[in-house]
Amino acid sequence: MPPGTIVAGKDGSSQFDIFATYQSILKNEEISTPLAAILALTELIEKSNAGTMFELVKALNDGAEVLKERTPNPISLNAGCELFIAFAYLFPHDSDSFSGLKTELVKQGQRYAAEALTYREKIAKLALGFIKDGSVILTHSYSRVVMKTLLRAHERKRISVYVTEARPRGLGLRTYDELTAAGIPCTVVLDSAVSYVMDQVDFVLVGSEAVVESGGLINAVGSNQIAIIAKAANKPFYALAESYKFHRLFPLSQYDLPTHNPSILSFPLSSAATAVSHSPSSIGPSGGKTLTSEGPRFMTQEQVACNPDVDYTRPDLISLVFSDVGSLTPEGVSQYLVGMFAG
Amino acid sequence: MTESVTTIKAIASPLPSQPQGEASGSQPPKSQKNMTKAERREQQEKQRAAKAAAKSAGPSAKPAAAAGGSNVKSAPSAATVPAAGTPAKRSDRRGTVSGREAPNMFDEPGKARGLRIFSHFGLPKPPGQAKGDIHPAIIRLGLQFSEFKIAGANARCIATLTAFKTVIQDYVTPPNNTLSRHLMTHLSPQITHLVSARPMSVTMGNAIRQLKLEISGSDIDLPEQDAKDALCLKIDNYIRDRIIIADQVIQEIAGNKIKDGDVILTYARSSVVEKVLLRAHAEGKQFSVIVVDSRPMLEGKKLLSVLTSVGIQCTYLLLPAIGAVITEASIVFVGAHSLHSNGAVFSRAGTALVAMMAKQHSVPVVVCCETYKFSETVQLDSFIKNELAPAGDLFSSFPITRPKSTLTLSGQSNLEILNPLYDLTPPSSITAVVTEVGVIPPSSISSIPLALGRSTL
Repeated sequence: MPPGTIVAGKDGSSQFDIFATYQSILKNEEISTPLAAILALTELIEKSNAGTMFELVKALNDGAEVLKERTPNPISLNAGCELFIAFAYLFPHDSDSFSGLKTELVKQGQRYAAEALTYREKIAKLALGFIKDGSVILTHSYSRVVMKTLLRAHERKRISVYVTEARPRGLGLRTYDELTAAGIPCTVVLDSAVSYVMDQVDFVLVGSEAVVESGGLINAVGSNQIAIIAKAANKPFYALAESYKFHRLFPLSQYDLPTHNPSILSFPLSSAATAVSHSPSSIGPSGGKTLTSEGPRFMTQEQVACNPDVDYTRPDLISLVFSDVGSLTPEGVSQYLVGMFAG
Repeated sequence: MTESVTTIKAIASPLPSQPQGEASGSQPPKSQKNMTKAERREQQEKQRAAKAAAKSAGPSAKPAAAAGGSNVKSAPSAATVPAAGTPAKRSDRRGTVSGREAPNMFDEPGKARGLRIFSHFGLPKPPGQAKGDIHPAIIRLGLQFSEFKIAGANARCIATLTAFKTVIQDYVTPPNNTLSRHLMTHLSPQITHLVSARPMSVTMGNAIRQLKLEISGSDIDLPEQDAKDALCLKIDNYIRDRIIIADQVIQEIAGNKIKDGDVILTYARSSVVEKVLLRAHAEGKQFSVIVVDSRPMLEGKKLLSVLTSVGIQCTYLLLPAIGAVITEASIVFVGAHSLHSNGAVFSRAGTALVAMMAKQHSVPVVVCCETYKFSETVQLDSFIKNELAPAGDLFSSFPITRPKSTLTLSGQSNLEILNPLYDLTPPSSITAVVTEVGVIPPSSISSIPLALGRSTL
């Protein structure tokens, strides 16, 4: 079904495939998941025939549920949805013209999305002040906002970048390609070599999936490790996050994240499973027993599936969060969030 | 007041309100001038002892009754000192006398004079005679407070407000006066009486401040009964909104943090945590609880009985043994007496140890606290403000293998018992605070007024 199709429902109301809309919006590289969610919800308002605020909020919540169910990692999506629904709910309106209110909401949503595209630029400018000439920066995986900041910095200063491989998706290699293409000296570092390289680094810069109420950070798995090592080596750890990624979640530990499920870090149920791992996915000669003759070995799909995609970095490990609303300490994030969602 | 003065005149020469040292009894053969300094001091000590004995012999509400009663009782106990002097002094200078008397409550002349280092905590004392007309409901409440029949920040606040409702209903505005101006002066001695029974909790303080605000804001033109009803309604709303409903919201939010298979550790007895656990159990979550308790209050026993009666699997231990079980716990829930603006939690003594231990072992510590418990003060340690537990029978919970008389610790000249009731948990040991506005990190207390749409707490 082509995206954005309106299908007539049983009761005559037009149904609207929100997930397809969301996916088509995501095709635009610049737009991140929370923004895409906001735009998708804006379209839902446009197509909805709700008559009262209550119905509208209900429709929005249902749409958000659909999106959440069908996305494997819904944290940043949640952030965008909640932000928009809270905005719609708190929007001052006079009760006479409801359709006028809907139009206004749609306009505001689209205007916000357009403005949000400039947030990365704002953050890059802000972070620029913290990057000195000749800095050695460590970053993790691939992040659009970090990329923009580094390219910006390269225009006026000399920087060199270490980027982690970020297994299993290997997005660090994409960072490497883009930075090298721009002429920035870059080296890929093994995830396990971060502590080896930390003393050479001036500071750490990472992007984010979400910044949570405690002031902590949710990002690709490996960020927590880097933060702990940076703390131990007394290097600043900076997180870059657009304000729509601020989320009212409060994880008490890694296992309190919504992405955590019982299959992650679970032990295999039977010994038959362990035999599978010696299958011919290894490159070396099969049947060879000596370690020297085997090539590098890789995890199987099942083994990778037992691992998390994102992890939670505690606020005491983070030095500053750079955002379009300014540079905030982790405590400041919570105060901003409470102020934003205040009723 | 007049009765006691007559009594004095009947028995002895009139005793003016002189400073204690100079008071001359009617009967010592020497006059004050002839006594040496040592003898004067000795007499002073005897008078003080007699006063202490008289006071403990007859606590009661009305000064007149006390004068008569203690006259009779103290006459046999105080040999040389005229008993008539004491009631007059007591009722004349009730405030200063009780203030000075308190630290010496449990000593006799010649023995140790009470706690030296933590004397600013204020020993628990039986409520003195009520000065002025204290409402019977307040007197009853004062007695309940001083005997710890009502304990716990929430319980005390609700009891106080309920008593104040009675006081307000019974209040009659004097002529040429308005309710909004005079009611406050009427309530002040009642509040002082409660404070003398037991130092005011932060919850009571916040509630009373809100009440004062409501009183001063009440409409002057309203007929008296309407104004009183309006105030009582406001009190009811305050209790409902900021305690009862807040508790329900906290139960829900904290309940979301409880997952099947969790081992929850809690300390002593917090009314909010108890409700959270009961509700989570009622929703069908499977978890077990470790109740950590401490002497001498042993409040955890009550929590244990409540939880086991609904079928929650519990483990009970005393605080010194917490190192053995902390690795088993997956989450720690504690309550609070008050929360300060630097993020520190003021709670039952021992909470700080539990929190620090949990932090050491990476167990998240969650404090359940309603927003009306927030205090705008900053507290840095447990010494600056605290309260002592009532001196009771310390060994009542032990199996009796020796006669009780050998177990008592009081009456020894070199030994003082120090039992602070509260301690301060630093914000670094706390992971999260659950309030009715959501889960917040302890450092964000100051943004709560914004969340509630107000300018102050």
